[in-house]
Amino acid sequence: MSADTAIATRGLAKRYRDVLAVEALDLDVRRGEIYGFLGRNGAGKTTTIRMLLGLIRPSAGRVEVLGRRVRPGATAAFAGVGYLVETATAYPNLTVRENLDVQRRLTGAPRAAVAEVIELMRLGELAERRARVLSLGNKQRLSLARALLHRPALLILDEPANALDPAGIVEVRELLRARAGEHGVTVFMSSHILTEIAHLVDRIGIMHEGRLIEELDRDQLLAKERLYVEIGVSEPARAAALLAAAGFARVEQAGDRLRVYDADGRVPELARVLVGAGLDVTALTQAHEDLEAHFLRLTGGAP
Amino acid sequence: MTFARVLATEFLKLRRGKVTWLTLAAFSLGPAAIALMMWIVREPGRAAQLGLLGTKANLSGLSATWPAYFSMLTLMVGIGGMLLMAFIVAYIFGREYVEGTARNLLALPVGRHWFVLAKLAVAALWWALLVGAVLAESFALGAALGLPGFSATLAVTAVRNALLAAAIAYLLVPVVAWIATLGRGYLPPLGFALAMLALGNVFSHTGWANWFPWSIVPLYIGAIGQPVTTIASSSVVVIALTFFAGVAATIAQLRWADNAQ
Repeated sequence: MSADTAIATRGLAKRYRDVLAVEALDLDVRRGEIYGFLGRNGAGKTTTIRMLLGLIRPSAGRVEVLGRRVRPGATAAFAGVGYLVETATAYPNLTVRENLDVQRRLTGAPRAAVAEVIELMRLGELAERRARVLSLGNKQRLSLARALLHRPALLILDEPANALDPAGIVEVRELLRARAGEHGVTVFMSSHILTEIAHLVDRIGIMHEGRLIEELDRDQLLAKERLYVEIGVSEPARAAALLAAAGFARVEQAGDRLRVYDADGRVPELARVLVGAGLDVTALTQAHEDLEAHFLRLTGGAP
Repeated sequence: MTFARVLATEFLKLRRGKVTWLTLAAFSLGPAAIALMMWIVREPGRAAQLGLLGTKANLSGLSATWPAYFSMLTLMVGIGGMLLMAFIVAYIFGREYVEGTARNLLALPVGRHWFVLAKLAVAALWWALLVGAVLAESFALGAALGLPGFSATLAVTAVRNALLAAAIAYLLVPVVAWIATLGRGYLPPLGFALAMLALGNVFSHTGWANWFPWSIVPLYIGAIGQPVTTIASSSVVVIALTFFAGVAATIAQLRWADNAQ
């Protein structure tokens, strides 16, 4: 595995009795990139993240993190890793500052790191409050602060935007972008908020039923964002045939609507074809297909 | 030093926990209850006037003396201690799973064995402070009651017996810690401790009493029959093996098993 790889897995698999949660996963995350790890519930994302962190043992295959093999009980690999797995948790009886101080002591970070990360995550007003009184969003901020505290070279984040309000999501997005851009931190993150991922990542990997079924870089991701015209029309099947005859080659029916993918600059002509044939056009909107639609199509969700 | 760093975090967690003070309050009630029984035995008339359990206390055949007082104290530290220690260790280990913080500890540049050792060290210190506080309280209450029959030899023997019972109770808890990490919570270790206490009582009546770890304290302190003066070498070996097996199993559980909390 090459020196510029932050995370590498080969043939990684995890089996729980009859269930193969992750199957033959070969993953390479380059140093300094932001990698989005997508998948529906039960796709194997969290299981993979747990194996990357040595929380569970693979049934087969190997994991390397920052050039070190992850083995049961071997902890040296994690000196440069900050992480957040699933829900945000903290010691409820300890204050925000004390929770971070626990992390500081365990990672050997300097004392000043606690104050720095409190400021970075805008936790100043909450610093002396017990974690049990924090809102879910603020607990998430605390967990992110804990992940960032020792200035790790690699962040492994499972749903980092969980429970955050829209402003918080943007804030975290900018924070991660800055960490990657200015500090060269590698970010490996899973998320259900696909639009958020699309705005942030350099590459995505899509997991489905335990397998990595597709990887896309930023350019490929942008190419997926197709423009189309959506039409509400009476007799959609007849309308589709009329449009095909008029030279619109990429027409798809989605329920009682039509999507025309090659209508760019030809919308007036499209409307004339339908109205001229006596069909009632009830809606005509221009939209674009995004990562979400691509993801749903790949993983068998509703279009 | 890694151990010192981990230990410092464990002390911080403990200091902030209400359970620390609750255990002190609960354990302190023991000497107070024993002292009350002594007073009832000595003053049955006044106790009856106050509506206390004078009749039952008289029926118990107790005498209001220092030897009887110390004997009950040793029973409390031994039997109550085994339960309380199990509770403390179940809390220290189980809370990481109940509060969802275990996963925050396991992918850090800190060997997982250090967490086990630091938590057991904190439990030992906590237990030592509790036992120390309760012994001091007992002497103060006994003196306040003006119980007869005190001697320095008796006091030294009583303290030695209580400390030995407390030490054995502590040496049995790494197994409870293992159950807490295996069961990921409070209930499995507490259930285990109660079951072992019951089994210990059963085995105390058999020829296997010296070989079953949870029978040794009841046997030693006289919870069943007369107290024995020395612990059999077979029991020492059993206790030592139980302690080391418990520590090793807890470390192995954290190191090798899936921690998919």
